[in-house]
Amino acid sequence: MAEIVGALGVPHNPFVALALARGEDSVSEARRLYDALASELRAMNPDTIVIVTTDHYNVFFEVSVPIFSIGVAERAAGPCDYPQLPRVDVALDAELAREIQASVVAEDFDVGASRELELDHTITAPLCSMLGTVDVALVPLFVSGSLHPLPRARRCFALGRAVRRAIERSPLARRVVVVGSGAFSFEVGGPRMSEDSHVGVPDPAWAAHVTELLAAGDFERVVAEATPAQLEAAGNASGELLDWLVMLGTFDARPPTFIEAQPAEGHAYAAWRLGV
Amino acid sequence: MSIYAVDKVCRRVVREPDFVQALRDDPEQALRAAQPPLTDEERALLLAGDVGRLGRMGASFFLLHQLGRFELFGLTLPEYAARIRAEYAAERRAL
Repeated sequence: MAEIVGALGVPHNPFVALALARGEDSVSEARRLYDALASELRAMNPDTIVIVTTDHYNVFFEVSVPIFSIGVAERAAGPCDYPQLPRVDVALDAELAREIQASVVAEDFDVGASRELELDHTITAPLCSMLGTVDVALVPLFVSGSLHPLPRARRCFALGRAVRRAIERSPLARRVVVVGSGAFSFEVGGPRMSEDSHVGVPDPAWAAHVTELLAAGDFERVVAEATPAQLEAAGNASGELLDWLVMLGTFDARPPTFIEAQPAEGHAYAAWRLGV
Repeated sequence: MSIYAVDKVCRRVVREPDFVQALRDDPEQALRAAQPPLTDEERALLLAGDVGRLGRMGASFFLLHQLGRFELFGLTLPEYAARIRAEYAAERRAL
């Protein structure tokens, strides 16, 4: 029987990941936080990581940008968008991925299947920043959190619930950790960038508020308050919160085992050990 | 043609080193060969590195900033950011 043994929420800033890979002192705070999550992840001892992310115009572009899709290839390599970052060629848990897809489609969640794909930095950067490499099989689950129209927060949370049912129904012997990748408030290259960078955090109060709600285990309020208007106000990358919402849907709401925000960065690091 | 053609140029910059080299060697020719075709205005704005105007026309900032990252059309990331800030100065004051 497959079981969900834990969940993580991680940021994936590629410039931070690069500085971490080079061992630069400027990112000692991120080092400490990724290390904290790495200890949680090792304690969870997963066979498979389901990583929920927003593709950054890498996997999906010309033919279609699906609202949801799941990677069912046997392997995938990356990152395809930041070649300076550590490169990995990873086994995907195609067997579990296909079961999840079949199960959620049977429940009316229209999730496509990607039979050939590359990994971008949103997957490899947080995993390599925690683990140094990726030695756990992955199931990439993509949410269209950048290109409008975005799926609604409630739909993403409900998809998480359906993924949970799929995993709990599976006869495969798997310890599964679900990871949500992304920020709560972030602007890349747009008018709301800061005065000294090409990125910015347009709504740090929203990021802090989301972190407080998560710390209290109040997932329902995050879902209710993550309206299209709020996500728009929080920056052009703030739809990545939807990746977290899918992850949060995969277990009963509760306070995390670990959570710490970096408000000036618009994101947080969080872990939920589910005690199996 | 929609601004999609500009988005696609920016996306190819991330993924196709040969295309980046072609844009460095002969930017106008490389842009004339792009598919789907750019409008004359889009091509001229790209060649001028006028990312502010391209943003106004609806290009994805997420993709557009890659022109600064790859230092094309006279841009760097700081120069990219300066041009966006200048174009949107009025809106930024209102934030």
